Amino acid sequence: MEETTTLLSEEEKDILQEIMNIAFGQAAADLAEIINIYVVLNVPYIQVLRAIDMPEYLHNELAGHEVISMVEQHFWGDFKGSAYLIFPSGAGKELVSIMGEGVGESGFDSASFDGMEKETLMEVGNILIGACVGKVAELLDDRVTYSPPRVAIENFAIKSIPAEIFDLHSSAIVLKTVFNFNERDVSGFLFLVTKQDSINWLKNSLVTFMEKYE
Amino acid sequence: MSESLIQIFETVNIGVVTLDLELRVQFWNRWMELHSQIPAEKIIGTPIIDSFPNLDNPRFSKNCKAVFSFGSFSFFSQKLHKYLFPFKPDASYGNSFDFMQQSCTMGPLRDQDNVINSLFLIVQDVTELAASENRLIELNTKDALTGIYNRRYLEAHLKDECERHHRYGRQLSLIMLDIDFFKKVNDNYGHQCGDQVLKAIAHEISKLARSTDYFVRYGGEEFCLILPETSADDALSQAERFRDHIADLVIPCKEASIKVTISLGIAELAAGNSPDQLMKRADDALYEAKNAGRNRVTLC
Repeated sequence: MEETTTLLSEEEKDILQEIMNIAFGQAAADLAEIINIYVVLNVPYIQVLRAIDMPEYLHNELAGHEVISMVEQHFWGDFKGSAYLIFPSGAGKELVSIMGEGVGESGFDSASFDGMEKETLMEVGNILIGACVGKVAELLDDRVTYSPPRVAIENFAIKSIPAEIFDLHSSAIVLKTVFNFNERDVSGFLFLVTKQDSINWLKNSLVTFMEKYE
Repeated sequence: MSESLIQIFETVNIGVVTLDLELRVQFWNRWMELHSQIPAEKIIGTPIIDSFPNLDNPRFSKNCKAVFSFGSFSFFSQKLHKYLFPFKPDASYGNSFDFMQQSCTMGPLRDQDNVINSLFLIVQDVTELAASENRLIELNTKDALTGIYNRRYLEAHLKDECERHHRYGRQLSLIMLDIDFFKKVNDNYGHQCGDQVLKAIAHEISKLARSTDYFVRYGGEEFCLILPETSADDALSQAERFRDHIADLVIPCKEASIKVTISLGIAELAAGNSPDQLMKRADDALYEAKNAGRNRVTLC
């Protein structure tokens, strides 16, 4: 697996890294203040990859987690791409108990628990992805719309994630952040994969962003 | 909004609503008028929670805040939320749902300067989908004759239950029960009466079981009860009640009055037990109860 170096220069990577730091910091603060969700978002780490190498990348990054679920959500603006939120297996159950308060009329019975788990993964995914991507877009003066979240992989062995899930012909700027949820023992990984055709826009925006500070 | 766009929003078969920053209604399309019985001119300009007090909850307001501050979308799935607006379902679904099942999407609306100044809500009626999904789930998890859970359900859920109880170190017991000399019922009274007996037993034990217990037709005349948060001793007294009750039960079929007894085996989840091992231990206990003369309860 080799890093594609042609897409972004080292300097551009540094700026993007900085923007992500600001965006994710603001996202976490707003999530806490506005909707009482307390997430710890680690400093995101940026890498540029070929999409075809994503499974191998994920496999390396998520060493120690055998079985995972993955929520996928696409976003469209000048900033275009897909967000993937990866939870270790079992996290869904924990999230249902965190998010479950106030759901439905009388909670849920065990028969529908599996469905609940899936829906809760999507809801949490939508909130985190919306907050993070929204902040990045805001900093870059963009506006984005989102597809509904989808559970692309449910309790799947990480070794067998097919590469076809990702857009094979594109290169990807991959951001990884580890998050922790409401001081509970739920953590996961957020990856943003940027579509190739928004790279030029991104490069320009990075310049504009820096000019504001110079 | 341009005149032709408004015409489209008035005609589509989905609800379209827009709310300002104070959650007052700005736009209320024909579909919403039709299903809410509230005309647009009555509701426009008023806070949405005045007409729909059920939306005055932290969850809904959090979603609105998220849309306003992140510019993100919110999706209210039918599975988690059932509905946002309590509308009457179409008459044909009236029996299965009290309210129209809805899938709703909420998102930001911006002015020329890219500032979010309102939000939109799109409401889709998914009652038909939810009804057929429920029907499929029922077909897949319930036994057709007795209406209680089937073996497929047991196999899927016993594993989860066992894991949960292992994880939190809680008690879990299992009762296997079997109708004594059931073959004779079929031979003497015919299969229709055999079915009648199965239904009656399922019905009676469902009534006696607690709402947290899962009652399953395991196959033939064999049933199984999963008792979460229950020790073997408590399961034993439950099982004795079942046995007692069935022994006194008279099941009418055609001109006959049929009496049957049941035998029961109990096992409590032990450390390290797999679902299969638990089933096997309860089954062994049942076998002992049969060997000891039937109409009795044996604890593993």
